[in-house]
Amino acid sequence: MKSMNTFKLKKAHKIALWLVFFLVIGGILAGLYMYNLQDKDLQKVKPDFIMTATELQKAFETDETAAGQKYINKIIEVSGEVESVKEGETQTLVITLKTENSLSAVSCTMQAESVTQEFTAGDQVSLRGQCSGFLMDVLMNNCTVIQETD
Amino acid sequence: MKRVALIIIIMLQALSLGAQKYMTRNGYIGFYSHTALEDIKADNNQVASILDIATGGIVFQVLIKSFHFEKALMEEHFNENYLESEKYPKSTFNGKITNLSEIDFLKNGTYDVTVEGDLTIHGVTNKVSAKGSLDVRSDGINASSRFTLVPEDYKIEIPGIVRNNIARSMEMTVTMKYEPMTVK
Repeated sequence: MKSMNTFKLKKAHKIALWLVFFLVIGGILAGLYMYNLQDKDLQKVKPDFIMTATELQKAFETDETAAGQKYINKIIEVSGEVESVKEGETQTLVITLKTENSLSAVSCTMQAESVTQEFTAGDQVSLRGQCSGFLMDVLMNNCTVIQETD
Repeated sequence: MKRVALIIIIMLQALSLGAQKYMTRNGYIGFYSHTALEDIKADNNQVASILDIATGGIVFQVLIKSFHFEKALMEEHFNENYLESEKYPKSTFNGKITNLSEIDFLKNGTYDVTVEGDLTIHGVTNKVSAKGSLDVRSDGINASSRFTLVPEDYKIEIPGIVRNNIARSMEMTVTMKYEPMTVK
């Protein structure tokens, strides 16, 4: 009788130990995964807003606080005409989209290696990115080019 | 409204003084921290800056959320925990070139400069001074500078656990390509 009880206890103990072991390993792997996560690929993320560069800039020009609350950190797909393409430092590309306001535009940064086509001033383009805020232009980061399907 | 007023003021001054003001909207500021445990690097390619060659005045505006880190989690911690960018979305510098008389803006060439002014980060303003160089060219003015900043000077709290992952002082690199301001 006594020997049967001790045998049961040991087995439960073993299962518990294995469970803890797997939880710890799982935790470490999850941690490493989170730590190494890079910016999301926005090609696969549905945008929160789809609008023109003019509409977005106007929103910030009209009421910066309200526009900030509505658009900052959101994923916006913005379309417009290319005003300039500049190479930043560290393999970054900055594409600026024209708006009706000649003093204020929409500026989008992206990793140069993710851009497969050449852009020049005058091109029509759709860019999906995260809105970070407003200085002289509306600033967007982690942008990706949206290919026209039609 | 404040922004519109600022832009109008700049426009009017630009009109009256001709090409005395230079501007960039794609200035670069990066910072780098090296420790035995980890290297931290972030880049911002959307710095707005105006340089007035008549007065030597320099103004920078930096959006904290525009700093790009390779690791998304680092970027999140930087914004939410350290710089609290929801509360303090922008960093600004308002200063001037102290040795303006040594620079001949009509003569192309490289000039050493010292810039002094008020730097505001995380809601805290400190007087800073930095050395840099101006490269006067036919198509614009390039400026560059390297200096260091101590996070604690701006009340940026770094928890004890990660304190050794982040250097005591951050190496800052500034690279600006100014173009003459023109009214379109």
